[in-house]
Amino acid sequence: MAEDVITTLKILIIGESGVGKSSLLLRFTEDNFDPEQTLTIGVDFKTKKLTVDGNAVKLAIWDTAGQERFRTLTPSYYRDAQGAILVFDISSYSTFAKLETWLNELDTYSTKKNIVKMIVGNKIDMENREVTREQAMAFARRHQTLYIEASAKTKHGVQAAFEELVHKIIQTPGLWESYNDNIHVGNKDHAPQSGCASYCSLT
Amino acid sequence: MADVLTETVLPEDLKKFEQIYHGQLYKNDVTPKAQFDYAFCLVRSKYPADIQKGIALLEDLYRTNEEGQRDYLYYLAIGTARLKEYSKALGYVRSFLSIEPGNQQVMSLEQTIKKKMEKEGLMGMAVAGGVLVAVGAIVGVGMAISKSK
Ligand SMILES: Nc1nc2c(ncn2[C@@H]2O[C@H](COP(=O)(O)OP(=O)(O)O)[C@@H](O)[C@H]2O)c(=O)[nH]1
Ligand SMILES: [Mg+2]
Repeated sequence: MAEDVITTLKILIIGESGVGKSSLLLRFTEDNFDPEQTLTIGVDFKTKKLTVDGNAVKLAIWDTAGQERFRTLTPSYYRDAQGAILVFDISSYSTFAKLETWLNELDTYSTKKNIVKMIVGNKIDMENREVTREQAMAFARRHQTLYIEASAKTKHGVQAAFEELVHKIIQTPGLWESYNDNIHVGNKDHAPQSGCASYCSLT
Repeated sequence: MADVLTETVLPEDLKKFEQIYHGQLYKNDVTPKAQFDYAFCLVRSKYPADIQKGIALLEDLYRTNEEGQRDYLYYLAIGTARLKEYSKALGYVRSFLSIEPGNQQVMSLEQTIKKKMEKEGLMGMAVAGGVLVAVGAIVGVGMAISKSK
């Protein structure tokens, strides 16, 4: 029997165009891969139910285009997101170098200050790796984000990435309990938080 | 929960892109980007008159700017679907898919539109043309959209 969904979580996927954001989402939601995946127009949206640590949650996932011409239009989708997946392509150093910009963008526009961030190094099936695992992990540690390597093509790491992200969100106090379509319990999001949400200490 | 047909633009975003567009309009030099950005906000407004205006801007772009055709078609489908002009919306979806068959994003928009029609009991029904045209005519009144040149 379907379990009762305890909450809906808003997840955002950002990163340079072509790194495989839409492919990761398609793999996760439909267990499918399209080698001819075309450019996302503006922002795409998919939902998926997921059970983590015995809690059934519904994920509302917003997949952004990443192209320059949509840059000014997409930040409004950052509001209220509880989790953000920042994707780069391990076979393209420039997409890794751009993560800094994406993190800044997130800090500027996300409304939940303790939003859980995860960096995903995608396309690990590719042979011409330009970013080492150590490099990426050091970067993630410095920015207090999670890090996972994945391949939308082979499935490797995809399910684990979403599960780990949700796991951290559920563990983060004040991040999701008040989130509901109709009811807003108090003003938790804006309550003063100690500089770092609880998950930081776990990294 | 909000989806592509129900999430709405932030008023400050709408205002920001409206100002850019009008600034260019004033100088009689509207770029396709400014027009698209403004239309992108308008079709996501909660006010039908805004959506209507966004659709007109996108139709104009579709006629005059070769480059962004797939963007325009996609947001024309979104705008018309939000106005509950479902047969029009599905028409745009079909045009898109005839150019780019198998596009995941557009096929999923098609599903979202059909689900919404089903929910409203409109599936299989020729979308009640009369009523919708009337609504369109009312919101169209007093909306003199200056076509960029
Ligand atoms: N080899 C390989 N190709 C991938 C992978 N993920 C995505 N791609 C391809 O990379 C291209 C861009 O993917 P897409 O999902 O559209 O990237 P987005 O712009 O970030 O959404 C497409 O041709 C995909 O088929 C992967 O894990 N491995
Ligand atoms: Mg994409």
